[in-house]
Amino acid sequence: MIQLTVNGQPVEVETGSTILDAIRIAGFNVPTLCYHPKLVPYGSCRLCLVEVEGARTLQPSCVVPAANGMVVHTDTDRTKSSRKFILSMIFSERNHFCMYCQDTDGDCDLQQAAYAENMTHWPITPAYKPFIVDASHPDFILDNNRCILCRRCVRACTELVGNATLGFEERGSGSLLIADNNVPLGESTCISCGNCVQFCPTGALFDRRSAYQGRETDLTHVNSVCMDCSLGCERVVKTRDNRLVRIDGNPDAGFNESLLCYDGRYKPVAENRKRITSPMVRRNGQLESITWDEALSAISVQFKAHDSKEISAHISPRQPIEALSAFHEFFADHFQVGQVTLLGHDQTARTSAKLAAEIGAFESGLSALKDCDAAIILGTDMVKDHQVAGFFLKRQAMHDLKMFIANSTHTKVGDWSSNKLEYIGSDYAAVVDLLRSFAHKEEADLSAQLQNLGLNPERAEKVLGNLKENQKLVIVVGNEFTKAENLPAFRSLVLLAREIGAKVVTLKGKGNNFAGALFGYEMDAQAKSAPVFFLALGDGHACDHTRDALAGSEFKIVQASYESAFTEMADIVLPCTIWDEQAGYYLNSDGRLGLNQQAVQAADGNRSVLDVLKVLASKSGLTLSETWRTTVEEKVATIVLS
Amino acid sequence: MTKPKVASDWLAGCAGCHMSFLDMDERIIELTKLVDLRSTPITDLKEPDASGVDVGILEGGIANTHNEEVALRMRERCKILVALGDCAVFGGVPAMRNFPGADAALKRAYIETESTDDSGMIPNDPELSTPVHVRPVSDVVKVDVFLPGCAPSADAIFYVLSELAQGRMPKVEGEFNNWH
Repeated sequence: MIQLTVNGQPVEVETGSTILDAIRIAGFNVPTLCYHPKLVPYGSCRLCLVEVEGARTLQPSCVVPAANGMVVHTDTDRTKSSRKFILSMIFSERNHFCMYCQDTDGDCDLQQAAYAENMTHWPITPAYKPFIVDASHPDFILDNNRCILCRRCVRACTELVGNATLGFEERGSGSLLIADNNVPLGESTCISCGNCVQFCPTGALFDRRSAYQGRETDLTHVNSVCMDCSLGCERVVKTRDNRLVRIDGNPDAGFNESLLCYDGRYKPVAENRKRITSPMVRRNGQLESITWDEALSAISVQFKAHDSKEISAHISPRQPIEALSAFHEFFADHFQVGQVTLLGHDQTARTSAKLAAEIGAFESGLSALKDCDAAIILGTDMVKDHQVAGFFLKRQAMHDLKMFIANSTHTKVGDWSSNKLEYIGSDYAAVVDLLRSFAHKEEADLSAQLQNLGLNPERAEKVLGNLKENQKLVIVVGNEFTKAENLPAFRSLVLLAREIGAKVVTLKGKGNNFAGALFGYEMDAQAKSAPVFFLALGDGHACDHTRDALAGSEFKIVQASYESAFTEMADIVLPCTIWDEQAGYYLNSDGRLGLNQQAVQAADGNRSVLDVLKVLASKSGLTLSETWRTTVEEKVATIVLS
Repeated sequence: MTKPKVASDWLAGCAGCHMSFLDMDERIIELTKLVDLRSTPITDLKEPDASGVDVGILEGGIANTHNEEVALRMRERCKILVALGDCAVFGGVPAMRNFPGADAALKRAYIETESTDDSGMIPNDPELSTPVHVRPVSDVVKVDVFLPGCAPSADAIFYVLSELAQGRMPKVEGEFNNWH
């Protein structure tokens, strides 16, 4: 521990703390711009300068380590005048005129810093030098004229996301924020996660869709979880006048550290499919609007007219747990219809549940990915899916994390690591055998196995050579590896992991796949045509096979938010609320329940899957139970290690 | 005690700050009890008294030689000069012109605009003032009170004027300091 004095008050901080840490622990504050608690301190803006007795010059508190006996002053005439001078210099360097910036009043750290110093103007005439504006990206705009060169975006892109697209060229006041080797952002290696925009303290990087749509303080903020994939990232949904404006990562998020990917941040806001506004029925080959009562009665008539085995029911994993539970109870438990499936092809949740039932809980939480000394990634592309989990590995790859990647196609997750071994193929049984052989070296003929998989022996030795000695080995498995037919290899892998003390993390695909598996849904099932086909698509998509099964069915009921090939061929279409118009729980890969809060009111005429199920159940004289939470919690405990 | 004399004028601005001044509604009557409102661009008397006023208010930035003259005259005739609004304080929207330069801006406006035909030309009457590099008022004359905002709120304007009327220097901070 280190003892020092801040503004006359003694304070004790951990070794390695900065002066800024000590100032804040002591209950004082200095303004900062380039500093961000989630990034490595950089010390470029100089706004946090403080007086340290005995030091010749003012010290940047965000980068200078606290030392024993230091006497620090934050609010002297010297620090105050230096702060005003620094702010004047920053304001005058580029176009920092607030009145025509979209990032105003509470949104801009630079403006806030000026207000905090009670600056009413800046005394230095601006340079009026124009800088490049890059508007080539579909989701956000880079305006170098608004840049204060703090490099928070660059550091977020590199330190947190592990993408390293952003960087600077030129020096001093001519420095320019660029993508890659100075290519337009829209043509760069940018993965459109938008985290740079969220970390930008000014209007240099700004969201296209929410620009000039209102100040931060004009927007309604709703804390929610992302329900696109099974990571369950925490996010803040921002609306105005019942309209979705922007989505940001929750700064207080645990697992996702305020980060989001494209699918969590931009995809929902970029949605442009055409909404369905009224229940419809097919008459004389044409869909015609009808009332909800008529539509639901028509469905009840069909249910009664058919034997339950002639009905097949399918639901999207984008639906909340409440709906999945009710849907399964209604169709599988009460009616015991012919087929009840969860849409999608990811079997991870079901296979790992099956394996856990056999050998006990074995999964570790996703946070194991954040700090590991070696990673084995089997059958998943963490750059395309479960992207935020991929960020955690990519950023460690930059520090030459040992990585063994096996996937049917190349994945970029390990591209930054020089300690990477990659197998492109699908013989996962042989891959697991190889890992076993590396763990038990003396017993196996490694060279034959390596040759068989086409792997370089030297590189393999470097990455997998001391598998047992790795202290923090994490094994990530995803949908290619976890197919039902790979269960023996999966079992063998998990037993090996237990033996060598490795953590196993499973990535469970889209939305509520995990919850679906717990409720006993058929997963990756080939949906079959049936006399009555009930498709609860919601705001999701479904594959061509499901479309063909629907096409071959006699009476087609489609519950959907948007017009699609599915609604086009339906006999009855029920307009459905979308993700931000309904509240509901989502179960992430770790078994953590997250609430997707309702953020806007649906237009009249839309009803949620759950609400429709309740009406259909009451028409059949049933009351749906609401006990899903106990079921979920009990089952999760048998699969995920606490 | 005689009421302090107040005069205002506008330079390169949009008149929005004066509209915001009017936005103080019935408090204008209260204000006229405190001050002797002399010339303004929105009343009959257009030029500040040659014998001088106590408080001069300027809206807008310095965008041409005429603005320079008006600013210099106001400075000569007032004791305390208030820069009212973002254009007077920073240069504001007219200062956007500085990035491409006045020549390029005039060419775009008078010749290249989609609705302009071949006869388009940049006005060059000798009686017109000449465009200059757009600056805040404080780059041309000394400013005593800076009231930024686009536009500053009626509350902020009322606060500044009522403080000055009562012989105090206003402190523009908190909700009154809003750069927009």
